[in-house]
Amino acid sequence: MTDWNCARTEESLSDYLDGTLSPAEAAAFSAHAGGCDACGKLVAQVGGLVHQMRALDALEVPPQLIPKILDSTLGPRHTQSAGWRRRFAWIPQLWQPRFAMGAVTVAATLLIVLYTAGLSPAKLKKADLSPANVFRTANRQVHLTYARSAKFVNDLRVVYEIQTRLQPDAEPSPSITPAPAPQQNSQPPSVNPQEKSQTSPHPGHSEARNGTMLASLINTNWAGNFAAIMLADATRSPR
Amino acid sequence: MEPDAQLVQGCLRGEGPAWEELVRRHTRRVFNLCYRFTGNSTEAEDLSQEVFLRIYRTLASYRPAFGAFPTWLTSVTRNLLVDHYRRTRRDRLTDSIEDAMPKLENKQSAARTPDKLALASELSGQLQHGLSRLSPELREAVILRDLQGLDYSEIQSVLAVPEGTVKSRINRGRIELARILEEMGLRPQN
Repeated sequence: MTDWNCARTEESLSDYLDGTLSPAEAAAFSAHAGGCDACGKLVAQVGGLVHQMRALDALEVPPQLIPKILDSTLGPRHTQSAGWRRRFAWIPQLWQPRFAMGAVTVAATLLIVLYTAGLSPAKLKKADLSPANVFRTANRQVHLTYARSAKFVNDLRVVYEIQTRLQPDAEPSPSITPAPAPQQNSQPPSVNPQEKSQTSPHPGHSEARNGTMLASLINTNWAGNFAAIMLADATRSPR
Repeated sequence: MEPDAQLVQGCLRGEGPAWEELVRRHTRRVFNLCYRFTGNSTEAEDLSQEVFLRIYRTLASYRPAFGAFPTWLTSVTRNLLVDHYRRTRRDRLTDSIEDAMPKLENKQSAARTPDKLALASELSGQLQHGLSRLSPELREAVILRDLQGLDYSEIQSVLAVPEGTVKSRINRGRIELARILEEMGLRPQN
């Protein structure tokens, strides 16, 4: 084995370190490495490196890696806390504006319904919640509302009737507003019904005066108007 | 090998705990291989995750006749690493390696302590630096043999190259790595 050279040493270095060279080759290798400085140094270096690499501990796995792998393969983990989190996952969604708006609208609607049913939440008592009481208050409220609206419609009907009866009389006198000014002693056009009742039955009531009453009745509140119209109607009826 | 085969069977029956156990048993091996090859912990994590995702999807195609489960796992990992290497080759070439190197050396010299643990991690870091300068063919061969402890026949089936090629790559890889480390001013002790 005299033809053993540096290239061959390098080539069979791992076999030498692994101990897989034949005894004759191993002897020639050792002889060359012992005589050649460069090869001797290389053998020592590579031998030391292999030894160190094998002695090196494997790196620890980052703690989040295994959970990440399990999450990406099995899906989100089914740990206890995850279970609870999933069960209440819908709660944060309620804070979204559209759900909040919806909840507020529902609350407002309920309040309105309760109010119209005569149940003020501030004055609500336990007894008010019994079905009989709820029915009674609701029934009462419905009747009250019906009575009020019926009254309102009737009142309106009266007003319109009077208006239509007065209409042909008002037509001949086109200027009705300037006329009452001197006679009424600078009273505002909206006169209260008591004064009317005192002034209206006076004899010599002109058509123009009826006209002013109609004008004033349009300005005053409808309850007052109603009284005034009834009076005006009374004065007109004998004719 | 026997427990691995049982776990694989369990996974194929759809048992979650079997898969979890399989992952726990082999994550360290996969992560180390990825880290030693890429030299980057974040990349290694992402790649490990990708490896197990691929294993999870292709587990039905695994046959014990192909070899032991760890060998199959290693070859899946290695194939992904090679794909990753090809994908990111252009990015690496545009990155200035020379710019990054002095920084790394400064950091290492600053962190020099007499602590044995620190010395071990320093050696690990220097080794990592040396590995990153090896060609990928030589790097993977050295990692599989000397850091992962695979034998020649296992490496042969992972790399899908003849045994002679495996041997010569490991040998050349070791010699080059020793020379790189010497260039870096490191002399491994026996």
